[in-house]
Amino acid sequence: MRRYRIALGVAGGLLLTFGVFRLVTELDADDLFVLGVWLAAAVVIHDGVIAPMTVGAGVALTAVPPRARRYLQGALLVGALITVIAIPLIGREDTQPESKAILLRNYPANLSLLLGMTAAVALVLYALRVLREHRPADVRLDDESE
Amino acid sequence: MQPSPAPEATGSTGVIRPRWWPRFRSPLRSTAVTARLGRAVGICFGVCFVTGMLSHYQYHPWSWLPEPAHPVQAYRVTQGLHVATGVATIPLLLVKLWSVYPNLFRWPPIRSVKHGLERLSVFVLVSSALVQLTTGFLNTLNWYPWPWSFPSTHRYLGYVVIGSILLHIGLKLPDIKYGLQARLADADVLTEVPWNENPLAHSNAGDVPPPEMPAMDRRGLFVAVGSGIAAIVLTTVGQTVTPLSRVGLLATRQASKGPQGVPVNKTARSAHVLTLARADDWRLEVNGPTPFTLTIAELESMRSVTRHFPLSCVEGWSVGAEWRGIPVLDLVHRAGGAESSRVEVFSLQPNSPYNHSMLLGPQVGAALLATHLNGERLDLDHGYPVRLIAPNRPGVLNTKWLHRMEVT
Repeated sequence: MRRYRIALGVAGGLLLTFGVFRLVTELDADDLFVLGVWLAAAVVIHDGVIAPMTVGAGVALTAVPPRARRYLQGALLVGALITVIAIPLIGREDTQPESKAILLRNYPANLSLLLGMTAAVALVLYALRVLREHRPADVRLDDESE
Repeated sequence: MQPSPAPEATGSTGVIRPRWWPRFRSPLRSTAVTARLGRAVGICFGVCFVTGMLSHYQYHPWSWLPEPAHPVQAYRVTQGLHVATGVATIPLLLVKLWSVYPNLFRWPPIRSVKHGLERLSVFVLVSSALVQLTTGFLNTLNWYPWPWSFPSTHRYLGYVVIGSILLHIGLKLPDIKYGLQARLADADVLTEVPWNENPLAHSNAGDVPPPEMPAMDRRGLFVAVGSGIAAIVLTTVGQTVTPLSRVGLLATRQASKGPQGVPVNKTARSAHVLTLARADDWRLEVNGPTPFTLTIAELESMRSVTRHFPLSCVEGWSVGAEWRGIPVLDLVHRAGGAESSRVEVFSLQPNSPYNHSMLLGPQVGAALLATHLNGERLDLDHGYPVRLIAPNRPGVLNTKWLHRMEVT
């Protein structure tokens, strides 16, 4: 394992150094500064805003009974991931010349549709589980067949 | 959820954490989860790096190793994969980072020089990966809220990302090995306390019952993440996988809405060729050992052929199209060149790095100077009076509004 670790470290270090070297030598000072701001902001926004929000949501969800909570967690997770991709599309709608055929869709409506479908699937799965747990007859049948 | 009896971890240095220091309890987090997510993220970035470099080569080939003309769809596939994978990596990376978020709260924050350097490498990895994916995605929306040139910065940052990933794998190899070998259900819970300092960690305490997961369990987490990513891929990839364009709820391009069923990136207006391209005195100048000039009528009366080539944009959208036009090779021969010649075409468009492009090797024999698109005379936005179209070639290198060709 030690040999692999060293090989990975050296290869990675060289590629990383090459990339940083090219950035530092090819970008002019102003652009490099803005890139530095972007890089720092990405970590600050993720670690300081997005991640704490998910932790907060997770804590808030503990108030929900476990059986329902897992479906709620699933739906919120799927919905959040889809929303992350949809937000820039919404922010950019109707900004481009028509013949580019870009960003012409109604993204708020489409996002609502996807979130609605996500909620519906989670509800159906939850309902099926509740039904399954309230059918003692089936359980008895299963027991007899064993 | 049961508040897990958080061990009063002291850390190897024996320093006790402040009371207000965050404590993470979710039993969903585990090195077993992280290693599996990390494997997926690593594969995705690997795909993006390779396809990205292939795309870069399209723009800057060595003359002794020209791009092949076949398969015709090659660039469509590699670049479609590049963008689709990149988009899918955004949610994947966010979940991966969620799974290791407690590591940010190790106490004490820096234990040694080695630990400090390791944390610095993680900072480089996280920041470059986030910026790479964000700027790449915004680029596909033709959104450039930054001052630097996108293509070169995206490429250099690609080296930083892939290098940091390899370095990270090297540093974390023992954890990765544990994580991939451990069973999802009973692997150690990942908290802000390193597993080897947590007396209650499964692997320290011996045969303890697996962590209780009363609500969502780790398998459920993967089902949810997989479903979310599948939904994103399914609703965005229609911009290049034509049959899925009907469900492209979050797709950026809609080929059918473009002029003649093909979107454009540079309109005639934004390229400042509205007048030049429609001028009566337009001529195609062909320079070579035996130079000549063609009027529109002469050009249109030449032998034309029909070809099915996709228009494949570096931004990850593509569409199949039927082109009719004059084989470039016919013009090359008339100018005194041969199939082995280098051909450079020039646009009427002033002041753009993409107002000319070079045809090399097999593409010379395969390319057309297109006059018709999907059965109609070429739209002004598609490069009227004549444009280049070649197989396995980025859209922007199929130069539009041609007026000159150099055969050497």
